[in-house]
Amino acid sequence: MPTLADLLARVSFLAAMPAVAGIFITTGILVVSRDWRLNSIAFTVQYFFLVLLLTRLIRLEVAAVKGLIGWLICMVFYLTERRASTLKQLLSAESTTGSQRWRRWVISAQASFHLLAGILIAVAAYTAALRIPLPEVPGDITLACYLLAGMGLLLVGMSEEPMQVGLGLLTFLSGFDLFYVALEPSLAIAGLLGAVSFLVALAAAYLRTAQVASSREEGTP
Amino acid sequence: MIAGALLLLILPLVMAGVVYSLLRWTSISALLSIGTTLALGVAAVALPLDQPVRLWGGREIAMGEATTFLGRELVLEQADRMAMAILFFTAAGIFLLAWRFAPRSLIFPMGLGLLSLLCGALLIHPLIYAALFVEIAAALAVFALQAGKGGPTRGGLRYLIFTTLALPGLLVTHWLLERYVLTPDETGLLSAAAILLGISFALLLGVVPFHTWVTTITNDSVPLASAFVLTINNGAVWFLLLDFLETYPWLSSHPRFGPIVYTAGLTMIIVGALLAPAQRRPGSLMGYGALIDSGAALLALAMGSETGLTLIILSLMVRPFGLLLMAGGLSGLRTRSGNDDSFAALRGQGWKTPWSTAAFIFGGLSVAGLPISAGFIWRWPLCRALASSHQDSVLFLLLAGVGVMVGVWREMSTLLARPRSPKDRSIIPLGSSEGWLTAAVVVVAIVAGVGIGLFPQAIAPLAARLAKTYTFFTP
Repeated sequence: MPTLADLLARVSFLAAMPAVAGIFITTGILVVSRDWRLNSIAFTVQYFFLVLLLTRLIRLEVAAVKGLIGWLICMVFYLTERRASTLKQLLSAESTTGSQRWRRWVISAQASFHLLAGILIAVAAYTAALRIPLPEVPGDITLACYLLAGMGLLLVGMSEEPMQVGLGLLTFLSGFDLFYVALEPSLAIAGLLGAVSFLVALAAAYLRTAQVASSREEGTP
Repeated sequence: MIAGALLLLILPLVMAGVVYSLLRWTSISALLSIGTTLALGVAAVALPLDQPVRLWGGREIAMGEATTFLGRELVLEQADRMAMAILFFTAAGIFLLAWRFAPRSLIFPMGLGLLSLLCGALLIHPLIYAALFVEIAAALAVFALQAGKGGPTRGGLRYLIFTTLALPGLLVTHWLLERYVLTPDETGLLSAAAILLGISFALLLGVVPFHTWVTTITNDSVPLASAFVLTINNGAVWFLLLDFLETYPWLSSHPRFGPIVYTAGLTMIIVGALLAPAQRRPGSLMGYGALIDSGAALLALAMGSETGLTLIILSLMVRPFGLLLMAGGLSGLRTRSGNDDSFAALRGQGWKTPWSTAAFIFGGLSVAGLPISAGFIWRWPLCRALASSHQDSVLFLLLAGVGVMVGVWREMSTLLARPRSPKDRSIIPLGSSEGWLTAAVVVVAIVAGVGIGLFPQAIAPLAARLAKTYTFFTP
């Protein structure tokens, strides 16, 4: 059976600019999409690319633990949204029609605005990576840090929905974590930052549950 | 032998679990929470640091003994023990009011858990861990801030956002300062550290323009939980700031430190003074009152003297008297008006809920800094201390007090409005629906606030003694 190191060796060719590109695509999806299934998948893939980049800065085992925490967070988000979606469907008087289902995939004015804002943030992150390089980390990782932090802030600023804000905060924290592991490789700090991320996810999930409970009481889907 | 630092960390955490399991029995969980915090507050103040104390069963507690956690040292020092006592006694007050106004809420177990984390933040060295503990505490506070039955989620969310955004600055500052020790020629590192630290603390303290979380939590969240955040969490952040200034004295001696802190404080006071009287919801009024209070504390810090430090600590000691009463009163009013605290819903509520109304009004007057209230005992000396050098700030501070009082007056006139038609006036019940125990708790809280206002010498020397433990303003 292949070990973790073997598995990583097979995908190590991704642990540079391809991973940064992957992060750009996944954060872009988070910014544009409002579909919780797609967001859950994008967030899970984002953690995969994050772990790949982390392996260049810290020990493989520590990076793997960070990845596991990230995937647990994705699980929390997925289960919360799944439950919320079930409750919403119960509240809806009639099921989603075919045209409504189709409309979900057509790019709306809001989504195109988010896409534009995301592109602007990506350009700003690229410029910042060239002009203000972060200490102790290579150029491509600097770009990934700026992308994650910028897109995270954009997500936080664009919505007051608990899950969107939670995803934004965690994306922002991921960007910071990627930079900070190079400055402070302490295991205690890594553990505490993991605990922070997990608690932020739990808090966002709790708020989402409260929001759904509130809409149930009011009888609005 | 039990190390005191460990006791202050572990006991609230254990009790949080016990209280959570007993939450359905309101009085038991509340009294356990109150007892635990009072006992820990007394232990923090009364037990000697330099010698162990024997407990029942032969076990000994050594309050001053250092212990390790996550490989880092935890030490209870003189300044920390007073700070913790303030936090524990404030928590006891919150739990007392929550017993009557927010029974079965998560504030009891979460509050105890938060106390454990915030004590950890004050005890642990280096300060980098403290920043992480404060962030974890903020994430946990969301569970207490959010009302169990739903309701708006903006309060907890905003608080979580601003605290999370403050975290990177605090962590990177530590690295920059460590690097500066190795390369003292790179003075740019100090400037970067000062900027990051300033932004981080501005986010944590709700300095304008990062103040939106303050009014949102008082508006949308459980009132007593928001009071917990504004007194205990913010209190811990203030003590953390003082610890930072003590550890890095070049920060406070920087020529721009005073002007920047002064401007930040004055801006908060002006914004609070302008917006407080215009608020149409009591929660917002409470938030702007807290904003003015924090701004005034920043003015005291900008004085750059031991007197200023004493006034900051005094403000942290008396702030709970006003904010907790307001929060308790607001809780009572919201409960009886179906969670609606608009002017229309609160019209005439004062006749049905006289004790909640009294709590809100007396609390508001203390937050405004009215004479003989607890808030007055630090606002007045602050005005006198600033009068010689910054007359404009004294004027704004007094106007801010007037602004809050106007807001309280508007709320009071709404709460005590009598039904318009003479026929309906006869149905105003003369008795209260709140019960004698609630009345007793409110009376005790009001008497305590007025008592402190009349006899400030009871706590002012303690604030002065605590201020002396910080040496960064000593020439």
